Amino acid sequence: MSNYNKVTDDVVKKLVAICGEKYVTTSEPLRHSYMAKGIMGLEAELPEVIVRPENAEQVSKILILANENLCPVTPAAGGLSGGFALPAIQPGGIYMDMTRMDKMTVDTENRVMVVEPGVKSGDAWRIFKTQYPDWAPPIPDGAPPAATVLGDAIERGFSLVTGVYGPQADMIMGLEVVLPTGEIFHTGSWALPGAKPFYRWGVGPNPDGLFLGSQGSMGIITKCAIKMVPHPHFKTVVAYGGESWDDVVKPAWEISKHEMGIGERTVMVQGGNYELVMTRWPKTNVPIDYEFYKKIGVDRKWMNYEVWAWSQEELDFTLKGIDKVYKDYEVHEKRTTPQQELHPKQVASRLKKPNKIAIPYSLWQAGFLFITWYCPWLESSAMMDEYCAAMADYGFPETMWVASIDHARQAIVMPILCFDSTEPGIFDKIREFNLETTRSFLKKGWLNYRPDPFVHAPETFSKAKEYYKMLVKFRKVLDPNLILHPGRLAIPWESVSDLPNPCKE
Amino acid sequence: MTSLENLRNINARCIHCRACQYAYSGEPDREGKDETYTGMLQGCPAGIYFGWEGYFNSGKQWMARAFLNGELPASQELLEITEACTTCGMCETQCPNYIDTVHVTEELRAAVIEAGVEPLPKHAKFRDMVSNDDMRNPYNEARSDRTKWAQEKYGEQIDKDVKIGYFVGCTGAYRQQHVADRTASILKKLGVDFTIISDEVCCGSPILRTGQKAVFQDVMEKNMETFKNFDLLLFSCAGCYKTIRNDYPRISGKQLPFKTRHTVEYVYDLLQEGKLKINSPYNQKITWHDPCHSIRHVGIAIEKDILHNSKNWLLDSRAAEKAKEAHYEIPRVVLGAIPGLELNEMYRVKGDSFCCGAGGGVKAQFPDMALSTAKERLKEAASTGADVLMTSCPFCITNFNDGIKALKKEEEETGKDLSDLGSKLKVVELLEVLDELL
Repeated sequence: MSNYNKVTDDVVKKLVAICGEKYVTTSEPLRHSYMAKGIMGLEAELPEVIVRPENAEQVSKILILANENLCPVTPAAGGLSGGFALPAIQPGGIYMDMTRMDKMTVDTENRVMVVEPGVKSGDAWRIFKTQYPDWAPPIPDGAPPAATVLGDAIERGFSLVTGVYGPQADMIMGLEVVLPTGEIFHTGSWALPGAKPFYRWGVGPNPDGLFLGSQGSMGIITKCAIKMVPHPHFKTVVAYGGESWDDVVKPAWEISKHEMGIGERTVMVQGGNYELVMTRWPKTNVPIDYEFYKKIGVDRKWMNYEVWAWSQEELDFTLKGIDKVYKDYEVHEKRTTPQQELHPKQVASRLKKPNKIAIPYSLWQAGFLFITWYCPWLESSAMMDEYCAAMADYGFPETMWVASIDHARQAIVMPILCFDSTEPGIFDKIREFNLETTRSFLKKGWLNYRPDPFVHAPETFSKAKEYYKMLVKFRKVLDPNLILHPGRLAIPWESVSDLPNPCKE
Repeated sequence: MTSLENLRNINARCIHCRACQYAYSGEPDREGKDETYTGMLQGCPAGIYFGWEGYFNSGKQWMARAFLNGELPASQELLEITEACTTCGMCETQCPNYIDTVHVTEELRAAVIEAGVEPLPKHAKFRDMVSNDDMRNPYNEARSDRTKWAQEKYGEQIDKDVKIGYFVGCTGAYRQQHVADRTASILKKLGVDFTIISDEVCCGSPILRTGQKAVFQDVMEKNMETFKNFDLLLFSCAGCYKTIRNDYPRISGKQLPFKTRHTVEYVYDLLQEGKLKINSPYNQKITWHDPCHSIRHVGIAIEKDILHNSKNWLLDSRAAEKAKEAHYEIPRVVLGAIPGLELNEMYRVKGDSFCCGAGGGVKAQFPDMALSTAKERLKEAASTGADVLMTSCPFCITNFNDGIKALKKEEEETGKDLSDLGSKLKVVELLEVLDELL
């Protein structure tokens, strides 16, 4: 285990020499201003100094300096991932706010865009809307406008076409990476000087996977080449309801498996339950009885299909195909899965990108947490049933969201824990809930999307021991002093867990 | 009195999504005429100027939380960062969790000061002057001169025993007397039997905004006592209007005993009732700047009042939003009633209007930020092709004029034509125009 040093005045002086006085601060209030405990992670430590580099060269120099002084470094693209974009352990070290690096280039011929970490979804959308209206940037769906394209991509998050293209990381064509020791290199065809990022697998074995999902602990990605997607303008959203999770999951699988057919135009398939509507409002100022939601046309469970097509004819054909699957399901399974009547404003709201749809769950009480899991699509009903039961046991509303990844090959299942963050002991309760469900789900072979350092990562790697050993080997090659975002991915192990270290078994 | 502690649960709703950094954060497809003004745009004057997260509302909410949790001590540095905010409320418009962002900022300022940190130098001067019985204004002027502007033309209105009061405010009384004069003239022309009260003291806006609540409490009580028997108070100052309309009842916990209306709203009421028609033309191409205080803050208060009384936000939020939007239309209805006036709207308008840069104590304490913000707005105004930038707020007018002055100076020094940035704009107070036309 590394013993990290605190950031000294001398280190700060050197950071100033690298980035300029204007872009380095040790101000206590400003350091607190970067904190977040919610959305994705509840644990975060205060950084000791904030730096705002301008380019990869400055990032490199900062990392070399951090290695010389054994200071931890936490990079953050836009920093919207709650506690995940902050130091996990003490000392908090150097926090690298990458928002100054906000350049974007677009290559319509090769259908790829290159973004720096600070390019925000709202800005990318505006530029595409005015300059490239036939294309869309692969911005995160459901994330607010300040979410970054790169941050979402390297964390393998959702894009607006995930139902077809898979996680956003699948759309990456090349990376510019600054290794923890300061070397800068490119992946894919980009590795060849002068080559465009046109071929992901590049000049040899592709190391992208080591950096994607590493939560910034393997290297700092300073550029990302990513596919942009065609943007047809015949769009709509249809929704079908049901009483059980199977009622929404099974028909969605039937529809999505029509790859190169109607499944190709259902770019986003996502659903939830009536609690997903209810908990967007204050607990004390909204009906909590399902009967109210039934009256206003909200089913107990439902699935939305966002459809993009090149013509009205193509759109109608797709909608007809979706409807036929549901009609067949009703007949074969003897279930009722009515199509919801969506107001045009509801359709417009669901088509809006980026949007603020995921934000208001704090209104229910005062705080919320998304916990995200992946499983094979048809197993998602069982996961949601178990999750909802556990949420009820722990006194949380059963707010649940589910979405298809890559034609319903996988499901992302996301309970939204709505709670009062000012309530004493609430974080312990959430941790207990998280631990209980995590242990159960891992036994079933389901995976946490982005493991938090204190529950998911140690629990998962305690089971996937060989994988963890290999991960640590790679990490030590790239980052011998383990300075990058320590604690993430349970490296160093003892900094986050009391469980036996798999590397020592 | 309210406090930061009272807002703990509201502050705790913040999940640091940073939507509050944008104008039109919920309208990515909003049409504009070019890439600069399309979709979502940066919207926080302090964040744009300083760059660090702590200057955006998103960062301030987390500084407030750390302060509340005892993790961040009161300090001069914390106060300086917190005070560098115009309290324009753009962030509050954007927040899907309905966080009272401006109240949190103002209460954080107050809490830091209550913890023993001395107010920033310019703000401390406000306090000293407003609490001085011989002044009771932040302009270092004699209290006895408060109604001097009116003595010649409107002497009979001073301390008249009627039920409608014109709350002039310190800026109208001491700095922009022409606006007070025009307002009084409008009211006379409209046949309003009103009075100007010599006992009026500063509304407390600059004191409250900068976190000096003890003095605010004092002037609030004084004004409440002075005006307790009135039926209606009319205003020409957006800041006084917002403070008395929104903040007095919120902070005192008591309903106002009188109704309040900005004079522009009063004209709107008469137009809507068919009691007024403007016949004289104003043949100018104008753009309209929504003052944060009288437009956004009042609109948000209308929306939140409805929600406060609602048992079902899911059903009532739409109506609340509509009521807010209706408030934003008021100046547009008035402008639309002026023959010959051509209104070319800026991109950021109504609830998403970009601040002039003067509010919240910024103009006095952070003049460079105020100027930079004014220039950003002037550029947007110039992009409409308008010749006149019209508004109805003394602080907006002063700050825009300062911005134009700086642009003109730059033109002289560099020989460049900066009309695209707004150097040729003429800033006009709507009340002056109304007085001319009525």
